[in-house]
Amino acid sequence: MWETVIVNPFTNVLLMIYKLIGGNFGVAIILFTVLIRLLTHPLMASQIKGSTKMQELQNSKEWLDLQKKYKDDKEKLAQEQMKYYQSIGYNPLASCLPTFIQLPIMFGLYQSIMRAIAASPMQLLILSRAVYPFFRLADVVPLNSQFLWMNLGQPERVYLFGYGIPVMAILVAATTYIQSKVTLPVSANPNDQSAMMGNMMAIYMPLFMGFLTYSFASGLALYIIIGNLLSLVQYALLGKIYWKNLLPGKRPVPVQAGGKKK
Amino acid sequence: MKTKYIVLIGLLALLVVVLSGCASGLTASAWPAVMADANNAYIAGGPYVYAVNLQSGAQVWRFPDKPSTAAPFYATPTLTSDGQLIVGGFDKKLYSLDPQTGKSTWQFTDARDRWIGPVLATDSLIFAPNADYNLYVLNLKGELQWTFMADQSIWGRPVTDGTNVYFGTLGRKVYAVNLQTHKQAWVQTMDGAVLGSLVLGADNTLYVASYGGTLYALNTADGKTAWSKSASSTWFWSGPVLTGGNLYVGDGNGKFMAFPAAGGEKLWEQDLSGSIVGSPFISDTTIVIGTEVPGADTGNVYFLDSTGKIIRTLPLSGKDQAYGNPVGAGDLILMPLSTSDAKDPIMLAYDSTGAIKWSFIPPK
Repeated sequence: MWETVIVNPFTNVLLMIYKLIGGNFGVAIILFTVLIRLLTHPLMASQIKGSTKMQELQNSKEWLDLQKKYKDDKEKLAQEQMKYYQSIGYNPLASCLPTFIQLPIMFGLYQSIMRAIAASPMQLLILSRAVYPFFRLADVVPLNSQFLWMNLGQPERVYLFGYGIPVMAILVAATTYIQSKVTLPVSANPNDQSAMMGNMMAIYMPLFMGFLTYSFASGLALYIIIGNLLSLVQYALLGKIYWKNLLPGKRPVPVQAGGKKK
Repeated sequence: MKTKYIVLIGLLALLVVVLSGCASGLTASAWPAVMADANNAYIAGGPYVYAVNLQSGAQVWRFPDKPSTAAPFYATPTLTSDGQLIVGGFDKKLYSLDPQTGKSTWQFTDARDRWIGPVLATDSLIFAPNADYNLYVLNLKGELQWTFMADQSIWGRPVTDGTNVYFGTLGRKVYAVNLQTHKQAWVQTMDGAVLGSLVLGADNTLYVASYGGTLYALNTADGKTAWSKSASSTWFWSGPVLTGGNLYVGDGNGKFMAFPAAGGEKLWEQDLSGSIVGSPFISDTTIVIGTEVPGADTGNVYFLDSTGKIIRTLPLSGKDQAYGNPVGAGDLILMPLSTSDAKDPIMLAYDSTGAIKWSFIPPK
């Protein structure tokens, strides 16, 4: 099921792009990332709008009143919050959906990259079975997995004075941090739990992503870096980017009801 | 909030585990390969090389004592004229083993990638193809004599006629390298990668089956194509087998074919349905070949007569697959098997009728 729905289609699309552009796997991954971002843009836009709406409503008088009224009864507070969401037509899960969609894409892409590179006989045999009948695999085997200084099927290091520097993992961590910070509208409400969670994610997620790409094939790092950059473009196009959040000593930009930056 | 942190960290940890699983499932894996002498079969399968007694099917020895998890053996072992068993691993090491005891006498560790193709051993030299694009030429003591760097990985066994050594690459090339000068004599481009071994005919012709589905006959003197035939709509994995003036080869669609080596129309074709990865074993009366079973995660072994008529179809059990090359050993036909279950055999020994004489399940 996973193979049929995710890995095989991804592999075939990657190979088709690779063939179309004349055999550059790095560019194929970049174009594939752009394609995925275009296809998931409506979901992304919905997530961005949902997050902003969440911030707005958590700064609203009604919401703050609920917090005060049921501060000693967490269960009741949760029920009333759900009622409040329903009354204003807001679905809190809708904003999480794109994040969850990104995860299988990431897993699937990683497997597709490794499959397409087919560095061993068994991998090539699996690839031979995975390609669609109309695609002539012999035209692209073996894939050129070299891109810039990287072998996209291997973890990447740049050696300086005998030390292997994981440049791509560092770039992944940096772009993930920047993307988390500048897309994080901060609530004026000091008890806003989602904002606290967001701040925590902005610290842990770059570390996690950096660790992940330190250990895995650099093709995955390329996908994540390009994905982060495209994500910034998407936020910027929707006017929801807060560059000032990056400045040292600056508090993150609070969002008032109505979605305006203070 | 504390619970949320725990859930979040738990989810991140889960992600690491899942991705680790993805990676481990895609690391180097392979199917076994076998060869035999008068007493033993030698099978490179997974983390070990085994010697198996041909009479009893019992293990004589296995190498190494403690396997590296990252080092499955895939390349078919090769016996040298002075009695060494040469086999390379995915750990980038080429080993010389004593066929009697399984002890390593020397290791060659200069290669930068995996040993996938079997070596060619002559009276004085070992031609060892590696996935790092190099053909390493060693003496029988394992000392490097010279190397030749090709355009891509070499997965098939080289052949030599005493003037040149010939081999194919994944980069769709067939090379001839002069044994005196160690320089390229000629190079010829195919329509697809060359995964399998080449075959040298008695009439200075080199036969190649390409991943592009074409069968080539090249002149060894200059590499010019004597004839070629686009024989498959998919791929040829292993090299053809030349015997009795005919070439035999199977393709990714399960078509098993015979062609006259001199060129001309196909003699016959048998549709075995599932992909054919290995090269066949051919005796005077019998052809043995393994296939996948379409739509099922298992395989068949076919016994055909010399006209391609199916004599016996032998289904394999469980998820076993017959991707390797069957080989003859006295009265036996040895079929290496790829299996995902440690309780299943990695080699079956058939008699000429297809009856199983013994099976080899590696002891724990």
